Amino acid sequence: MDRVRNRIRRLRFDHDEMTQEELASRAGCTRQTIIALEQGKYVPSIELAFRIARAFGASLEEVFQYEHR
Amino acid sequence: MAPLQKRALYSFVIGLVLTIALIIVLVLQGDITAFGEHLRLRLFMYTVLIGVPLIYLILVNLTLRKPSQVDERDRLIIERSARAQWLAVIFSLVIWTIVLTEIYRDQGQVPIVFINLIFMSALIISPLAQSLGILVGYWNMNRNG
Repeated sequence: MDRVRNRIRRLRFDHDEMTQEELASRAGCTRQTIIALEQGKYVPSIELAFRIARAFGASLEEVFQYEHR
Repeated sequence: MAPLQKRALYSFVIGLVLTIALIIVLVLQGDITAFGEHLRLRLFMYTVLIGVPLIYLILVNLTLRKPSQVDERDRLIIERSARAQWLAVIFSLVIWTIVLTEIYRDQGQVPIVFINLIFMSALIISPLAQSLGILVGYWNMNRNG
């Protein structure tokens, strides 16, 4: 089963405990979407994935990992 | 709760209360086909008819115009909710067709007042079903992803 995982929770922690609200504001989405992403219940579009990565100053693959089993 | 989810909930609850009130009034009236003869009943019906889509428009549609409150996930849920909307309208038409056919089969004709009622019910059901579809969409996405 293919799956997209992310390190958003970890990266927020590494960025001085950036709040979900702050990340949502930087990435241009709602806090509920960040919650869903952290819980692995939503896979973002490429565009949103790039915006989230940019909010952390990281590359796309540092934030999102595609797992193929 | 997401802003859109909250507003869809308000829209659904208010719309449902108005619709149930209308159904109760029509049932208490006894003869539904006589609704056109009573001014108060017609006014109440028009209030519900205008009220339900208007509440939906104010609560849900206006939220969509605020980019800070809606993102791609919300838009995906709205797109999916359209399916619930047309399914509900189609089913309501099917129910009307079956019920009216069975009730008026012997008479061979259906009172013309039902054209109004069918049209009004479709207009009320459509925004109600979309609000419900949005709520189910959030519930489903939070559960299954």
